[in-house]
Amino acid sequence: MRDDEIRESYFKYFNEEKLPFIQCKNCGHRFYYPRAFCPKCGSSDVEVRFSEGRGKIFAMTKIYRKDGSYVIYGIVELEEGFRMYSNIVEGNQADIAKRVEVIFKEINGKKYPLFKVI
Amino acid sequence: MIVGFAGKLSKNYEKDGIELLKEAIDEALEMAGLNYADIDGIMANIGRGSFHGNKTYLNPPAQISEYFGIKPKIIDHVQYGGPSVLSMIYRAYKAIKTGDAETILCIQGGKISHLKDNHFQKTDIIDSPFDDYIKIYDQMSPISDYAMVAYRHSKLFGTTDEQRAEIAVMQRYNASFNPKALFRNPITVEDVLQSRIVSYPLHLLEIVYPIDGFHVFVVSKRSSKSALRNIDILAYGEAHWPNPPAEWDDIIYTPAIESAKRASFDLNRVDTFQLYDSFTITVMLQMEDIGLVEKGKVGQFVESHDLTFKGDVPINTGGGSLNTGQPAYMSGGVILEEALLQLNDMADGHQVKGTDVVFLNGIGWWSRKHSVTLVLGERK
Repeated sequence: MRDDEIRESYFKYFNEEKLPFIQCKNCGHRFYYPRAFCPKCGSSDVEVRFSEGRGKIFAMTKIYRKDGSYVIYGIVELEEGFRMYSNIVEGNQADIAKRVEVIFKEINGKKYPLFKVI
Repeated sequence: MIVGFAGKLSKNYEKDGIELLKEAIDEALEMAGLNYADIDGIMANIGRGSFHGNKTYLNPPAQISEYFGIKPKIIDHVQYGGPSVLSMIYRAYKAIKTGDAETILCIQGGKISHLKDNHFQKTDIIDSPFDDYIKIYDQMSPISDYAMVAYRHSKLFGTTDEQRAEIAVMQRYNASFNPKALFRNPITVEDVLQSRIVSYPLHLLEIVYPIDGFHVFVVSKRSSKSALRNIDILAYGEAHWPNPPAEWDDIIYTPAIESAKRASFDLNRVDTFQLYDSFTITVMLQMEDIGLVEKGKVGQFVESHDLTFKGDVPINTGGGSLNTGQPAYMSGGVILEEALLQLNDMADGHQVKGTDVVFLNGIGWWSRKHSVTLVLGERK
């Protein structure tokens, strides 16, 4: 796939409420951030696959607003083995190692994957 | 070979950045006993929007030369954030040893006070190919990114808010003896913990305050009127982990673990440490990664040692950028200036007596992707 295709395809899949990731068909490496070739072995033989959307919180922080409210930003580790940055919503129970699943919400008119604690 | 240096810092500089840069170059050249005509090499790293209102030079050392009428034999734009200036010193020493140039200016800083509430303004400059998939989220980089590391560190190792606060307290103590520090009134652990939580667990007093400022270092082989000691590079290492930290094995490590290994210097020979201090946790991560204490044990180390300039393990002896302010979001110039003050017995009010060896480590980029280890001293 070309760089522009692979980058655009992510937004298309988000809109369909699918969470894509990339698997290298040469070395098997899985990664989330869209590249037209594998950052481990350099192969261009990569394919987009879809995650079940379940994982665990690997790292997180509560960012406080001046009014005392907060938003949670963190790194989620998906069961398929890749990690990604995201916001965690409905986060009263949120903590490192807590299980989460993907939900899709609109940010600036486009859908993006976020996570909620399950 | 560092024959002159200067740091000109201002909370809110009223004239243009180019004029603040001129003040810094003039002061450094005066210490060196050299003139503009002597400069035949230039290296620089300048914050975005520093010049002529809000303009960014595409190649700062070239455009600075154009403005100042410098005609260099070599130009190097070293840009991987705060530690870049430490690499410039290394490259300048090499260039002089190989005869590529004789007198090289190393410049880092910028004017950013006009951007303060707006420094993520829309531009085509991106700092990761994946900004569209990362910065779209509600986040506060780099504060939220370091806060995540601080929280994970405390979850894994039991590091406490009080232990992190100790870093801020001891650096402020050092700053209270440093006439150049912006924040000089002593603070307590309680003060730190009662300051606002910006991004949990980091409090306001654990976070650096951005200011305007430039640092200039003159590296030259010329035997000049400079009264500075003949400081050499005793060890050097750099390491770059370009992937987003989400793709690293773990975010509790920084590339300092590799840059320090490459420098491979016996820490028992070190008189003071100058460690990049964008946040309290940044200092603590480096203390572990350079090998001062093993991973996970820095909290106990902080409690059982005196890290002030009067103590057994002096760190950030001038109070660091947490207290001078951080020029153009980069602390490298602050720690390098302090290292040179200590080595030349010029650290007015906070001198560590008999300083012969200073160990510096810088960490760069919002996501801690770049580390430079530099050990300075007199080769005997």
